[in-house]
Amino acid sequence: MPRISPPLTAHCVLRLGDYSLLLHRRSSTVALFLCLALLLSSAWILAFGANGLTPWAALRAAFGQGEPMQLLLIRELRVPRLLSGLFSGAALGAAGCLLQTLARNRLATPGVIGIDNGATAFAVASIVAVPTSLAPSALALSGAATAAVLTFALAAGGGARGYRFIVVGIAIGALFGAATNLMLARADIDAANAAYPWTVGSLNARPSQAVWLLGGGLLLGLPAAKLLVRALSLMRFSDSVAIGLGVRLRLMRVLSLLLCVWLTALAVAVAGPVGLIALVAPEMARHLCARHGVPVLNAALCGALLMILADWLGRHLLAPIEIPVGIITAIVGAPYLLWILLRQSSRSSP
Amino acid sequence: MTSLPTLLTDGSCAAVRLEARGLSMGYAHSQVIEHLDLLIPPGQVTAIVGPNGCGKSTLLAGLSRLHKPSAGAVLLDGKAIASLPSREVARRLALLPQDASAPDGLSVAELIRFGRQPHQSLLRQWSEQDQAIVDAALAAADLLELAERPLESMSGGQRQRAWIAMAIAQATPLLLLDEPTSALDLGHQIEVFELIRQLAAAGKTIVMVVHDLSSACRYADHLVAMHQGQIIAQGAPSDVVTAELVERLYGVRCVLLQDPLSATPIIAGIQRSTRPTEG
Repeated sequence: MPRISPPLTAHCVLRLGDYSLLLHRRSSTVALFLCLALLLSSAWILAFGANGLTPWAALRAAFGQGEPMQLLLIRELRVPRLLSGLFSGAALGAAGCLLQTLARNRLATPGVIGIDNGATAFAVASIVAVPTSLAPSALALSGAATAAVLTFALAAGGGARGYRFIVVGIAIGALFGAATNLMLARADIDAANAAYPWTVGSLNARPSQAVWLLGGGLLLGLPAAKLLVRALSLMRFSDSVAIGLGVRLRLMRVLSLLLCVWLTALAVAVAGPVGLIALVAPEMARHLCARHGVPVLNAALCGALLMILADWLGRHLLAPIEIPVGIITAIVGAPYLLWILLRQSSRSSP
Repeated sequence: MTSLPTLLTDGSCAAVRLEARGLSMGYAHSQVIEHLDLLIPPGQVTAIVGPNGCGKSTLLAGLSRLHKPSAGAVLLDGKAIASLPSREVARRLALLPQDASAPDGLSVAELIRFGRQPHQSLLRQWSEQDQAIVDAALAAADLLELAERPLESMSGGQRQRAWIAMAIAQATPLLLLDEPTSALDLGHQIEVFELIRQLAAAGKTIVMVVHDLSSACRYADHLVAMHQGQIIAQGAPSDVVTAELVERLYGVRCVLLQDPLSATPIIAGIQRSTRPTEG
């Protein structure tokens, strides 16, 4: 009988002396294709518009090569918006993947646990209270953090699998949602209009500090998520199996939750509550990877791709009227959610 | 089934001591086990038997560090198991829990691959030895032909063999099994028990919770009988098992026969006891 290596038919091994990396072929291929798709759509989105640039010229301008007018248009207007879309999409995709794995439920998203609502409430409060508020992003960040801390504190010591955390998060989110509505109801029409993008999620004119903060957060958060993947892939088994294989469940749960909150908070400070990305991107990544493992990085790539495409669609569908990206993701995401719920399938765990 | 390659039992011969000292375990308002002492004989198959709710699964959960004791300790080679890093324990003690479940779509070989995780690290994700051990575990559990099949498409017996193969791939000297044959028909039960005997013959120490007393007698070297959270008898099955013990454990009267093949006790002629049982 020929010597077979069954566990590796779907993998390839990179070996260097004593060190080895096990790569899932399909996941790696998917990641490559997603990177390529991101690059192409980024170039296309940068080039697309009134000025008739070629994608290549747009990419060159993004890196500082070209005529001054092109440079101004690309570097000052289009690149920041593209980056805020890429970063917030990636952060939400990864955060969604973490939380869904943690809760063993593919409907769990950071939006469910109240972080989005906290960010919205604080941002809206800043706009409503001070009409010329300069820092709704900073307040969105502190709102997200406040919601997360409240949820953590109130859920402390509770339920093994984080259900308690999710239920507490839903309650906190509802409170913040009510507070937002109350403020909007009492605000004058101009303030309410100014606050509107924060209630649906938009990439329009976000301060660059928030975008860079998010970029830095991703730089820390994504490798951290990748480090957790090995433990997370065992957390898809029953608890007793995971413990038997040496996973420190409690520690890993807390770390993944913290990471999820960190990524979500930074993303909503930039984009507002675009929660459906966190639902759809991980599902798309799992589908592309043939349901192998915990595809945190591919979920991040899918999230980035979905976010910039949705934002582009929102800007051009009814141009010159801009539809906020949160509405586009809802229009695309809600039917998708219904499809998941109605699909004849017993596969309900992530 | 082929005999077990030495690869899977390397290091197993260095006998590992697992013991419970003054162990008390329980849930919020009820103590299940109180002040229990037990030494698992190294290199043997120990079966824990007893009626429902006697604490045998709780004891196994304590021995395998799934649940923390409320008092006392479980010692692995003389050190409190709770104080050892979980991964280090996983390299010495493998566990097959009763509620083992895997994510959808996992193939048998993929499942067994996870058994190697305690031995791997971020930069050592797949060694030649990992591969050899997974191959050997597949062969030992007679699963080579089924390696690529998704777990959920397999019969109960095959699935149970796959889970045991995963525990084998952990290459630990100690193996703890919670009712490994509970959902299996006769043929599959024998298959699993014979695999367990092979593992013991190769030097592993095995502890299993077993429902069926006759099977426990036939396949275990050491029997631990539990009743109301206490060990009421332990030793070689043919020495320990008596009609009185069976009546005390299960509240039934029976006739003890001898298995013509293995000369171990068989429980027969079971009747409900007329005498009220204690407790």
